[in-house]
Amino acid sequence: MRIVVTGAGIVSAIGIGKKETLDSLVEGRSGIRPVRYLETTHHEFPVGEVQLSNDEMCSLLGIDPQEPTTRTALMGMLALKEALEQAQLPTAHYPLSTIPLISGTTVGGMDKSEKYYLDFCENDTHNEFIRTHDCGACTEMMADHFGRFHRVTTLSTACSSAANAVILGARMLQNGETDCVVVGGSECITKFHLNGFASLMILDRKPCRPFDDSRAGLNLGEGAAWLVLESEEHARRRGIQPLAVLAGYGNACDAFHQTATSPDGEGPYRAMKEALEMAGVTPEKVDYINAHGTGTGNNDQSESVAIRRLFGEQVPPVSSTKAFTGHTTSASGTVEAVICLLAMQHGFLPANLRFKSTSDCIVPVTQTPNLQNPQPLRYVLSNAFGFGGNDSALLFEKVASGQWSVVSEGDRQLNTEHLTLNANKVYLLSAEQISAQEPLCEDWKENPIPLTEPLTRSREADYKQFIPPLEARRLGKILKRAIATAQVALSHASITTPEAIITGTGLGCIENTEIFLDALCRQGEDQMMPTRFMQSTHNTISSLVAIRLKAHGYNATYAHNTISFQSALHDALLQLAAGKIGNALVCAHDEMTPSYHTLLCKGGFLAGRHAAECAVSMVLSTQPTPQALCEIVGMRMLYRPTEAEKQQALDSLRSLALPCTTLHCINSMNSEFSTFFGTSYTAPALDLYAAAHIIESRPVLLCHDDGRHYTLILLAPCLKS
Amino acid sequence: MEELILQLKKEIIEVLNLEDIKPEDIDENASLFGEGLGLDSIDALELIVLMEKNYGIRLKDPNEGKAIFKSIAVMADYISKNRTK
Repeated sequence: MRIVVTGAGIVSAIGIGKKETLDSLVEGRSGIRPVRYLETTHHEFPVGEVQLSNDEMCSLLGIDPQEPTTRTALMGMLALKEALEQAQLPTAHYPLSTIPLISGTTVGGMDKSEKYYLDFCENDTHNEFIRTHDCGACTEMMADHFGRFHRVTTLSTACSSAANAVILGARMLQNGETDCVVVGGSECITKFHLNGFASLMILDRKPCRPFDDSRAGLNLGEGAAWLVLESEEHARRRGIQPLAVLAGYGNACDAFHQTATSPDGEGPYRAMKEALEMAGVTPEKVDYINAHGTGTGNNDQSESVAIRRLFGEQVPPVSSTKAFTGHTTSASGTVEAVICLLAMQHGFLPANLRFKSTSDCIVPVTQTPNLQNPQPLRYVLSNAFGFGGNDSALLFEKVASGQWSVVSEGDRQLNTEHLTLNANKVYLLSAEQISAQEPLCEDWKENPIPLTEPLTRSREADYKQFIPPLEARRLGKILKRAIATAQVALSHASITTPEAIITGTGLGCIENTEIFLDALCRQGEDQMMPTRFMQSTHNTISSLVAIRLKAHGYNATYAHNTISFQSALHDALLQLAAGKIGNALVCAHDEMTPSYHTLLCKGGFLAGRHAAECAVSMVLSTQPTPQALCEIVGMRMLYRPTEAEKQQALDSLRSLALPCTTLHCINSMNSEFSTFFGTSYTAPALDLYAAAHIIESRPVLLCHDDGRHYTLILLAPCLKS
Repeated sequence: MEELILQLKKEIIEVLNLEDIKPEDIDENASLFGEGLGLDSIDALELIVLMEKNYGIRLKDPNEGKAIFKSIAVMADYISKNRTK
């Protein structure tokens, strides 16, 4: 099935919308400027800011500036508006309630968290912004501005987040879960990130110079960009002309280092190769590569190595447009994808500004484009690499005019059925936990430890047997728990290196994030804390596990409050069912500090409940073993569904349990396990873990319904021969 | 200089969270990175922060650290010559 792009929207330092972006690219107008909107003391670092204040964006969007919003959400809405308008969505026939929205972000609502953190802590004011902190809240704000999307989720793989949102959307289309999906990302500049990148000493004090010998780091940028993806058939039926075909995509993990890419560019090489192979496109057919090209010594050198490994002597024209936009971090995957679409449409090669010479990198394109003399670009590759070695690549193909005909086949066949694993069966081989109960065992079955406090911290395992002291010394607890549960689960499943590692986390490494934020807000902007910052990104967990296991396969992290784990599970099931992978390590991790717990209670979450921490690792496989815990039959995920939609999802999933008609139903909001596992964003993973360990003859239906998110997971006992 | 070396050892153990290591376990002439203590590039960044906070020495280019962080003795020598506090 071909996937086409039918809408695109973009906001960055070089313009609001595609027209301004195109003009800036063609006229060589960089968006790197002295800092203007961010209230920071670091004026020595030029940045790529979107040239609108929050109030100006509110006014463009018709939003009351008093409403609690975040800059990430506002930029995202502006770009989303453009993408939906171009795709002529929604309409009466194609309402948003049939279209999923997948976003990528890391910073989430940090702009408001850093502004009001001391107010939350000390004055009990601006508490409405506690809820806007998490990545998922930003996604929901963007989605809700336009209506009621069918479902939403958020990827958080640092600077490849938006590219991975595209990949998830494409997989959902290919699996027939949906026939239209909106994918993209948004990320604003914050003091948190500016100081974090400064502490890693990778910010240039001058406008950045990707691939140049004089390069001295990146310039932080901000922006948002969205794509509307549809199956080709669906676009034809809607009578809409596509902008391009998404011909291939790749996701691989460098599994080398938390903030540096390997000298041989293994992750980038694998990601690009996978994208080309999927499309059946040989390297010499690629007409342009939009490089990740951040301007740091390490990235540009290793990306050059990776490109040369794949393309040999015939390296196609390459440029990094980060010299125009700055590094738009989590949004860069789709910001640069939209730039690629503009380049294909208008037949030009974006220039790599400020490049003079190089001794260790590829030589990028420097000529100013001439639209009077368009250059045919058929295949264009766009790279997005993230901290932790989360590397992704997208390959687009131009749709030649005249090759597209509209088919009108009357009414649309609604296809919003969710995942049914009719291709491959998926088995849960093993699952391990570290929680408020005895760690790494099932003592809770016989001797559950009741929760009595508002917050119960986890009972820790002895990590020395899993992690050498030199490595353990700077790992936060959440990371130690992740490594220990992963190692035990994998060993029980007799798997050394999983083919995919997918993690769900509501808040990521909140302990380190909080320490960094606290120091920033109380002591000012000179608190350089490289280790804390490095461990504040949500994808640290998944990538650290990959680094330890040398796992170069698919790697992703979902950060969307109460559906973080379900989203990770869904991604794994998609790939297992399609036969893309044979096994996967799926993880769910959340930690909680007393001070952050107090904040969340003020924000209305967790109040009156027994809060706890969660660490679960589970191994899924298409091959059952005698020890397998259960079969995962299917799942459904809906966002703000109507009662009728919930019933429909329930009925369709129940039908998969036939001939069994009596199910053991477990509701996460008052589950029989919550009295001893407690509440956290990823608690649904503990429900699944526990259900899998007690399942007997009846299938188990795990339901999560928090008023916004509705998810169902159906488990069945393994048939013992 | 002896005093500064001991001071540095204590500071490094604290900032890099080198549990189970005592100042006398560290050979001031041994390499800090790779063989020896086995530190890595993130530790180097933390050492740069340490030099700035405790000794008022600000490095602009992390690559400068390579020569300075060869061993504790070399680092102490550099600090004694360049410290502003």
